[in-house]
Amino acid sequence: MSLTTLLGFTFVQNAIYAVTAVALAAGAVGYFVVLRRQAFAAHAIGHIGFAGAAGAVLLGLAPVVGLLVFCLGAGLMIGLAGASLDDRDAVVGVTLTAALGLGVLFISLYSGYANATYSILFGQILGVTTGDVWLVAGLSAAVLLTVSLVYRPLLFVSVDAQSAAVRGVSPMGYSVLFMGLLALTTVVAIQIVGVLLVFALLVAPAATAAALTGRPARAMLLAMALALASSWIGLALAIWIGGPTSFWITALASLGYLGARVRLRVGQTHGQRVAA
Amino acid sequence: MSVLEVHDAAVTLDRRVIWQEATFRLERGTVAAVLGPNGAGKSTLLRAVVGLVPLSAGAVTVFGAAPRRGDPRVGYVAQSRAADALSTMTGRDYVGLGYDGPTVGWRRDRARADVVARALALTGTTTFADRPMRTLSGGQHQRIAIAHATVFRPELLLLDEPLAGLDLAAQAEVVDLINLVRDQTGAAVLVVAHDLNPLAPIVDRVVWIARGHVRCGSPDEVVNEATLSELYGHPIEIVHTARGRRVIVGLDEEFAHPHPHGHVHENEDPHAHLAEVYDEVTR
Repeated sequence: MSLTTLLGFTFVQNAIYAVTAVALAAGAVGYFVVLRRQAFAAHAIGHIGFAGAAGAVLLGLAPVVGLLVFCLGAGLMIGLAGASLDDRDAVVGVTLTAALGLGVLFISLYSGYANATYSILFGQILGVTTGDVWLVAGLSAAVLLTVSLVYRPLLFVSVDAQSAAVRGVSPMGYSVLFMGLLALTTVVAIQIVGVLLVFALLVAPAATAAALTGRPARAMLLAMALALASSWIGLALAIWIGGPTSFWITALASLGYLGARVRLRVGQTHGQRVAA
Repeated sequence: MSVLEVHDAAVTLDRRVIWQEATFRLERGTVAAVLGPNGAGKSTLLRAVVGLVPLSAGAVTVFGAAPRRGDPRVGYVAQSRAADALSTMTGRDYVGLGYDGPTVGWRRDRARADVVARALALTGTTTFADRPMRTLSGGQHQRIAIAHATVFRPELLLLDEPLAGLDLAAQAEVVDLINLVRDQTGAAVLVVAHDLNPLAPIVDRVVWIARGHVRCGSPDEVVNEATLSELYGHPIEIVHTARGRRVIVGLDEEFAHPHPHGHVHENEDPHAHLAEVYDEVTR
């Protein structure tokens, strides 16, 4: 099948639009997830969203409604409680456990076929409808717009909360705002790669970028580019070779990170030799 | 008008009085050392001056007004910055955050690069400003932090333990830099430290906090046997060495020794913990 024929299918077009929107938002927000060391929170919000999706299915609503409610709720809770580093992990862990318990309950109560929850777990990129594309694009655009506006204070408060507070940047305010952005990004990323693989877009490209450059703006743009590259190539491989898209995206993103770590290690050994 | 005036001030955290009846003023171009045992509330004093900790009594006025966050005339270097998050960032990027870090929006300021370059030049950090901060020594790190805090040539500079964990050579470098910044900008400087000796050559005033009380005056007025014995409630001896250093006998072990051990045992005193908990709450 030729490329033009493939690109003629609406479901392929929708998939491309959706991964593009998601990858850009996830790359940008992911950079701050890595910088703020909130990978665990990012992981938890996805799983908490799963409980929300299961609840929505039980009530006969669209899963994305449950995702939005649960992810944003959890994001606000973690953001409010976790401006301090000390008890952040505990707050995240307990919230996560409570939500997963609810998810189990919702699924056991639901008597129908749990197809919708399956796609929430593993993603369903090739089943994205035109309506989904608009939703994903709208949410991603909102996230990107906000990140670009608050980029400097968010960076400041993420690397040096105390000085930022003295300069009038509220660590608590930005903690809550950031968790809100993370929740929205998680909701859109789940549509594409699913709860279990949300890390592939949210953490792996940003961690790769952070390993390659220390310049903040450059690292954030690189994270967005890497997320975009692994999504597009992953989608192409899934269509041509077969296999789940989310598998290909995850594999590419993880390989990228591995490569960056190896490069970093080689660079360090080389640097030590030069220094010696 | 004094840069900083503290009048009969007290801070109470979680119903425990950290210190009270603090009265002192700080004039332009003077350096004051804030000394006292760990957990006495030295950092809390700095945080009260920038409005991060509320007073339970008295008044603090900065440039004749109540302290407020976000005043560009006040520069602040916190004791523990998130070293990990900063580690891959270059010093120049970090100093740039001192310039427009609090600014929301898309507009880029053309003066930024020049102002940052001037702050780097003033602090003598230009040569290593483009290296990732994880590759810098403790002293270089601290000098970049001072560059960050002096981007706007503040009139009041607050430094929380800038000498902690540094070897003697690096301590001397940082002390020279504090002196230089004071001379070049005319700023009033409040420095928290746990040993007066490295700062002694540049210090005009001493603020000593112990057992909830605060004494302020010239180094000779405060660091003498009568004042410190009264402040600590038991006899304190001070031995003057041939080179003019003061060895204080009768405090806790850390203060009895002229050289710092390099590490601050932050959690020994319940006050320190309370202050930290409170800081988180007020954010």
